[in-house]
Amino acid sequence: MPRRVKAQVVVIGGGPAGMASALAAFENGARPVFLLERGEYLGGILNQCIHPGFGLHLFGEELTGPEYAERFKEKLSRTQVEVLLNTTVLEITPQRIVRAVNPQGVWEFETTRAVLSMGCRERTRGMLRLPGTRPAGIFTAGLAQYLVNIEGLLPGKEVLILGSGDIGLIMARRLTLEGATVKAVVEVRDSLSGLLRNYVQCLHDFNIPLWLSHTVTTIQGKERVEGVVVSRVDEGGRAIPGSERVVPCDTLLLSVGLIPENELSRQASIPLCPRTGGPVINEYFACEREGFFACGNVVGVFDLVDYVTLVSQGVGEAVNIPTAFSPAKYHLVPGDGVSLVIPQKIQEGKKGFLFLRSLQSFRQAAVSFSFQGKEFHKLRVPLCYPSEMIRLNIQDIPWPSQGGEIRIGITGERIRGIY
Amino acid sequence: MEPVFDVIIVGGGVVGCAVAWYLSHFDLRVVLLEKERDVCCGVSKANTGVIHSRSYFTPHTLKGELHLRSLELFPSLERELDFHCHKVGALTIAFSLHDLQYLNTLKERGKNPHAEIIGPQELKELEPLVNPEVIACYYDPETKVVSPFLLTLALAEFAVLNGVEFIFFTEVLGFEETRDALSVQTNRGVYRARVAINCTGIHATSLAQKTGETIPLHRLYRGQYFVLDRDCQSLVKHVLYPVPTVGSKGILVTPTPEGNILVGPNFELIPEEDTATTKIGLEEVERGGGRLVPSLPLHKTITTFSGIRPTLPDRDFRIFFSLRFPRLLHLCGIESPGLTASLGIAEYVGEQIQKTGILFREKKVAPRVSFPVFRTASWEEREKLIAQDPDWGDIVCRCEEVTLAEIKHALSSCLPASTLDGLKRRVRVMAGRCQGSFCGMHLPDILMGKSLQKREAIMKSGEKSWYCLDTIGRAETENASTR
Repeated sequence: MPRRVKAQVVVIGGGPAGMASALAAFENGARPVFLLERGEYLGGILNQCIHPGFGLHLFGEELTGPEYAERFKEKLSRTQVEVLLNTTVLEITPQRIVRAVNPQGVWEFETTRAVLSMGCRERTRGMLRLPGTRPAGIFTAGLAQYLVNIEGLLPGKEVLILGSGDIGLIMARRLTLEGATVKAVVEVRDSLSGLLRNYVQCLHDFNIPLWLSHTVTTIQGKERVEGVVVSRVDEGGRAIPGSERVVPCDTLLLSVGLIPENELSRQASIPLCPRTGGPVINEYFACEREGFFACGNVVGVFDLVDYVTLVSQGVGEAVNIPTAFSPAKYHLVPGDGVSLVIPQKIQEGKKGFLFLRSLQSFRQAAVSFSFQGKEFHKLRVPLCYPSEMIRLNIQDIPWPSQGGEIRIGITGERIRGIY
Repeated sequence: MEPVFDVIIVGGGVVGCAVAWYLSHFDLRVVLLEKERDVCCGVSKANTGVIHSRSYFTPHTLKGELHLRSLELFPSLERELDFHCHKVGALTIAFSLHDLQYLNTLKERGKNPHAEIIGPQELKELEPLVNPEVIACYYDPETKVVSPFLLTLALAEFAVLNGVEFIFFTEVLGFEETRDALSVQTNRGVYRARVAINCTGIHATSLAQKTGETIPLHRLYRGQYFVLDRDCQSLVKHVLYPVPTVGSKGILVTPTPEGNILVGPNFELIPEEDTATTKIGLEEVERGGGRLVPSLPLHKTITTFSGIRPTLPDRDFRIFFSLRFPRLLHLCGIESPGLTASLGIAEYVGEQIQKTGILFREKKVAPRVSFPVFRTASWEEREKLIAQDPDWGDIVCRCEEVTLAEIKHALSSCLPASTLDGLKRRVRVMAGRCQGSFCGMHLPDILMGKSLQKREAIMKSGEKSWYCLDTIGRAETENASTR
């Protein structure tokens, strides 16, 4: 017989989002709280991020990933949050029955509140439809990071990195420190995908070239990668014929974006946002299905773990707020220059954070809010990059008295290259 | 002097393994030699995985004859191997009056009372997403799909259970006729047999030429495919065939037994063995698939691959004894529908072997029992499995829900996986939507334990396909120890 458990809160995924929301839910009086993690440890991706840079906003100091995770693990150990490790959730019903397995057996949780904090996964070669042979030596950057930092394995010695996302930049430095040669980081766009500080500290300081407006068009090698064909791309991101060159290497790392992991959300019939790839949520991070919340990268990919923690703590508080699932008044829509808006729905406009990501890099930028075609609010941002989210306090925005669709746009002077 | 086998099978693809399966029913000494480290590494592994029904057989050819014989053998095989084909049915889509004529031909060939030609309205009920420009469609309920690798593995495992020896890393280099046997020379010594069967797929004609045959080398056609995410499963339920073009069955849209959708193959002549995918090839497949299903969600692609079919000019199979070595049987031109016809080929090969005077005495065979699959097990079954062995509760691959128990079994079965690809094809780790980004983290530990030295020896498939190239910090450790 499966182990049947009644819970007030079940948190799915024990990364930074899950840890912070479980902790906050418990601190706000929810009982019992279960935190289900498929891995051997809590902390998720933080465990393999041994570089510093975490916690500047939240703790005012620079921590490594494991140090950051440790602060929450330690706090959790002093609560009665029931942490189940090695426990994989396989099914969530719309009625909030959560079915999981671990080596003890099958578990069935019946919960009042379910918090989705499954995080995200990396885009793969297949999704890029990158043609060529299928040899060993092709890794997503996060997998390579795990192999180096946790398993003690060096994935390759002559490496080309496709995509200038943060994990790719971090791995360029990491592999260089371990004796590998990083031939180049190749980015299809005309500007950086990751954080500027990561470019400076990981590429610039190690003399690793960054080729903007380039992409990998073919993979070569029968058994192990022997080289890749790199081409220049035009404004539309299409490879320019005749610009091909072969870069000999034994390894290709892909740092080409992250996708929120929402297979379980789909099972639970939770409405998803096509822009973010995550559940549609309001300022409480409540989903459009009674009893479900979502936080962290499962909602949309965040740039800083500090922000993930911040919103997840909010979720922990919101599990006890009866009106969290009340109908929304405002529907936020990404306009020109905006790639994503979190949350998509707002009830009152009195609490919480609004996160925006721009589509391109802009100088002298302005974020503009409009209602029924009229701008009602504008704020200036000196510089904005797609890699760095703009975080606003929802209560600082003069929301119109009437409810409806609010369009948010970003304009400014386009920046190309590294700025 | 080396012992004399009754039969040496050269090549462990689906045909070689089917021959092994067939021969293992008789009291014979049989060995199978394979140059790679696993079965099903060549032509057999990369194709559409369709068991084409009799509607699609080619009359007046050997391939057609063996196709039909094979279909007769499948039901008993499924029982004996505890292996099940998925009967999904097929729809052949006609866009013109010319196409419609072809549908009539299929109906005549099929001789199946349940098969019928249906109109656009009925088709829409069966497959709502099919191109609305369709004018008619042939519905054949008998068409099945399989995993080509798992079928090959099941055949091979049955053969092993019933006494056939499988030897890997062994490439056949040549033959020599001795007084009482045929000597088969390999990179790892000489094997002797009363009969040898050349089931080397792509390489069969070059091996035949080496033995003095005048047969032309295979013309190689490459076919490229998209594999779509399992969450597209409900979009296409039947095998969708276009009306064939000259030379091939055309670009199909096929549900796989694992729940993915396969789109392909195109049909391109290539100068030499090359299983790369290309931008042009994939674009052609995209157009072909889009013609059948305009809303095909190719943005849900999880991977692409290509396969090769070795063809002869007359596009038929040729199975014949060597003139110079009368104990050597060549199987050339085994292309589509080689997977479907494999059992028929095996039976036919058996008859040819009997003609050489080797006595076939039936023996009692042990049936094969398939290992449970966690993903398709019910919750009750899962609970029972975990109670038996906690490894069933340890999910290593989250996309395909593969447990440690299944991985351990694949690493220790009678034909164990020895590479990452071998493991992937057996239990589907690394075969899901994340393509190994998650389980790829844990597989080194599972495969080799904690020994760092050995972990560098983990291979994807071939001899030089190292997963990782070194360990971290070894330079420092070595320097420290020499100091």
